[in-house]
Amino acid sequence: MSAISLLNPKAEVARAAQALAVNISAAKGIQDVLKTNLGPRGTMKMLVSGSGDVKITKDGNVLLHEMQIQHPTASLIARASTAQDDVTGDGTTSTVLLIGEFLKQAELYISEGLHPRVVTEGFEVAKNKALQILEDMKVPISDADRKDVLTKIAATSLKTKIHPKMADQLTDICVEAVLSLDQKLLDLHMVEIMEMQHRTDSDTALVKGLVMDHGGRHPDMPKKLTNCYILTCNVSMEYEKTEVNSGFFYKSAGEREKLITAERKFIEDRVKKVIDFKKKVCDGKDKTFVIINQKGIDPLSLDALAREGILALRRAKRRNMERMALACGGTAMNTLDDLDESCLGEAGSVYEHVLGENKFTFVEECKNPQSVTILLKGPNKHSLTQMRDAVRDGLRAVKNALDDGCVVPGAGAYEVSAHLALRKALETIKGKERLGIQAYADGLLVIPKVLALNSGYDQQEVLVKLLSETTDSGHPVGMDAATGEPVNPIEMGILDNYSVKKQMINSCTVIASNLLLVDEIMRAGLSSLKGGP
Amino acid sequence: MALHVPRAPGFASMLKDGSKFFSGVEEAVVRNISACKEFSGTVASAYGPNGMNKMVINHLEKLFVTNDAATIIRELEVEHPAVKMMILGSQMMEQEVGDGTNFVIILAGALLSEAEELIRMGLKPTEIAEGYELALEKALADLEGLSCGEVKDPRDAKQVAKAVRSAVMSKQYGHEDFLSDLITKACISILPENTSFNVDNVRVCKILGSGLLQSDVVQGMVFKKTVQSNVIKQDKCKIAVYTCPVDQMQTETKGTVLIKTAKELTEFSRGEEELLENQIKAIADSGATVVVSGGKIGDMALHYMNKYNLMGVRLSSKWDIRRLCKSVGATPLPKVTPPTAEELGYADRVYVDELGDTSMVVFRLESAESPLATVVIRGSTDNYMDDIERAIDDGVNTFKGICRDGRLVPGGGATEMELARSVGKFGETLPGLEQYAVKNFATALTAIPRQLAENSGSKGRIAITSLATAHEQGQKNLGVNIDSDSSNVTMDAVENEILDLLMLKHWGLKYAVNAACTILRVDQIIMAKRAGGPKAKPSGPMDADDDE
Repeated sequence: MSAISLLNPKAEVARAAQALAVNISAAKGIQDVLKTNLGPRGTMKMLVSGSGDVKITKDGNVLLHEMQIQHPTASLIARASTAQDDVTGDGTTSTVLLIGEFLKQAELYISEGLHPRVVTEGFEVAKNKALQILEDMKVPISDADRKDVLTKIAATSLKTKIHPKMADQLTDICVEAVLSLDQKLLDLHMVEIMEMQHRTDSDTALVKGLVMDHGGRHPDMPKKLTNCYILTCNVSMEYEKTEVNSGFFYKSAGEREKLITAERKFIEDRVKKVIDFKKKVCDGKDKTFVIINQKGIDPLSLDALAREGILALRRAKRRNMERMALACGGTAMNTLDDLDESCLGEAGSVYEHVLGENKFTFVEECKNPQSVTILLKGPNKHSLTQMRDAVRDGLRAVKNALDDGCVVPGAGAYEVSAHLALRKALETIKGKERLGIQAYADGLLVIPKVLALNSGYDQQEVLVKLLSETTDSGHPVGMDAATGEPVNPIEMGILDNYSVKKQMINSCTVIASNLLLVDEIMRAGLSSLKGGP
Repeated sequence: MALHVPRAPGFASMLKDGSKFFSGVEEAVVRNISACKEFSGTVASAYGPNGMNKMVINHLEKLFVTNDAATIIRELEVEHPAVKMMILGSQMMEQEVGDGTNFVIILAGALLSEAEELIRMGLKPTEIAEGYELALEKALADLEGLSCGEVKDPRDAKQVAKAVRSAVMSKQYGHEDFLSDLITKACISILPENTSFNVDNVRVCKILGSGLLQSDVVQGMVFKKTVQSNVIKQDKCKIAVYTCPVDQMQTETKGTVLIKTAKELTEFSRGEEELLENQIKAIADSGATVVVSGGKIGDMALHYMNKYNLMGVRLSSKWDIRRLCKSVGATPLPKVTPPTAEELGYADRVYVDELGDTSMVVFRLESAESPLATVVIRGSTDNYMDDIERAIDDGVNTFKGICRDGRLVPGGGATEMELARSVGKFGETLPGLEQYAVKNFATALTAIPRQLAENSGSKGRIAITSLATAHEQGQKNLGVNIDSDSSNVTMDAVENEILDLLMLKHWGLKYAVNAACTILRVDQIIMAKRAGGPKAKPSGPMDADDDE
């Protein structure tokens, strides 16, 4: 009976060995679930949400977000792993696997009487060593083969998420998209990802311009324009009620009629300004005019604009205003007072595409666009979400590689090399933390093991082959998912992000150590909460 | 609400209460397959001209009697996640082609039940999925070669009717000739010169009473409404269309009439009347004889409209307004202002007609080409007319398909049989494990002719065997004979003019295989607890007219 039970009889508690067992079993449990996801041959999971929506995924991040995990330890691990995704955009599944495996290895030693503290000290030493090895293994990206390396790294990331055929297609799209951005800022928000539920996924494409998920709201507006000026603005073109309570007083119908006109005049003036401006810049030239407005445009204004052959889009996303300025030049206007030609963007063609109830507006053929759109097409919602998540990861992978300026060999090569190096280092280390380092070294091997298992090969056999090949050849060796044989991942073009691995090593070690050092789990008694078990 | 300390280790215990977790081949894949098989078995009996009708009562307690798979699955509200995948595939088919929903379900079901056998043999589900994809590529390539004709000119009524006929036949066997004529007539009359054909331009208006054979096509539009004004018939009329109510104007800000003396009061109402009269008069002076309003027509306005001999029609749906504008060529006006000559639309006749006890407003265009046509369906019950409407829908969609790609393939299961033969052959040549999946893909394809035969009352197996022999001998147009009277179970689909669109088969195969492979690739299912709260609103259109 622990002391807390005296203070609060309803409190629940797990102590010492029991607490550790809880943590370790949770880590192993969550590892078990995500295990099958890893690598290009991993299988899919079907997630059914509370409202009955179906999601099919093998992206660890999505999975951990969507599974409603309640177990405290498991959700701690899940949160740490999704944090990994927030920082680097990839490596979620690996993180979960490593945490699980570290705890599993540590359990062996702890059950033999080793104090957890000693294990964590060993982990700390091993982590520093592992990071050092990572430094040694990284391959810098030279300017000459930059695009090639980026393509490879995107391909590696995407192939673990979606169907290989789709991955090939998306790889080029992702690389192309990131490269067209402003290379100094690399703001991935400037790559719009637009979904269209239409045809099949092989119709997915990169649009060098912008695609918006709404269209002109007036039936008479042009559906297709070429050679356009684009005015992006944030000016309301609809009647807005005053904030104070106001009213009109009138005596006769004629007066009322005048009030009605006066009421509209304000807006009409604005619309007229735009129309005059349009006439100024377009008349006599082979130019057309498009307005993209962040605020609303009411039917009467739309009508007036439509008469002039102007395509007007209302209620655009705020992000799209930024993107529009990047994609086709010009600036987003907040007032219609000083309009001149330099505020306008230009695009070669603007057209509308209608899919059932949904309209899409394409702004294409821009000069030197710094914002592009990845247009995802797919037959159903779940395949679209799947692609969307994958594209996000692909983009992040390319961006990471550009930020890091280097890559590391993938296919489990790093883990195998790190394992061997740690083993070697053991010989020079004295004291009990050796055991911790040993556990760490063994834990790292979970990645190649699971890769082998998911590809349908015998894990021990593959592992032995990889280890001996690495020692013999002296260069990094990974597993070929197609054959199960050891290969040089750099030659095969299987590359991982440096920052992903670095973040992974850091966060896994910290979480694993934290969990190992827990010796008491307490929960204050809230047993009266509704819906208990 | 405990800390789950003492619970058995394992993943399921970590999730929220009420969540379900299935994993592994036995638990997830096989379960999914059996659910899908069950489902496809349910709708399979509705396939083909001799398919049985189903009676479905949906959550709103509306009764449906139909053999249209799209309707059945939409109203069933299936919750099983794997079956949902299949349904998504068939709904996509509905959107892409507008027909062939049942084809997708049956084929996906057959593919899955074949896959189950292979799983029991020891193949991995992912291997099967890969094999299926391989076979799909082969089948799609071969499909191109099976084309047995093409509708070159979508304006040629004879050719079009031939292609539309078999699509309608599978929904309304017995009336296919009459209906396909109606559909062809409606579609061709509105086929635009250069832009693409829009399915929405063929409207359907259902009027209870009389019989199907009294159905007709009207150039222009028909609304089940009556007019507001005294004038009920106008010839050669100009039409002014307003999206707003035709009444006194209101300010957006609240207005108050400030009256101090009795004189002002009398003057106010007189002024108001005069103003309105002037407005209506201006409309009448512009040459308009019919006024269509998107909102209500005020009593006072109505009075003046009667005075100036205007016909007033009120339409409540903005889609209807838009369509009407399109069909008569009018520009909708957002304010009650006199229309200019360009803004006026034209119809040859606008009149109120009564069929049975339903009165309707007809906007009729006499010219050969109009942007919209309405099919007026007559029938004895609502359910029956709904069913006819669905058949017409499929027919119109087929016409749209013809406009895009006019190539035809033999129907009646002949195409599937021929594909099964060639894919089977292809399977023989493969060296690896994928050959099993490819061969079973071929077997799954025969499910379509088998179902056709079985629904027609003949023995499925006998039909398949004789078809297989015939196809082996090179009679690649041979399909199932659905006429159960004759002793011969096979017939030549081309000779009997049972033709399907190539595009339909193309997308059908694609979506079915896609759905089946997605289901096969899933090895774990994690289901959250069903969220409580009020039931989500049905996502379908709220108004029968708002179906865009």
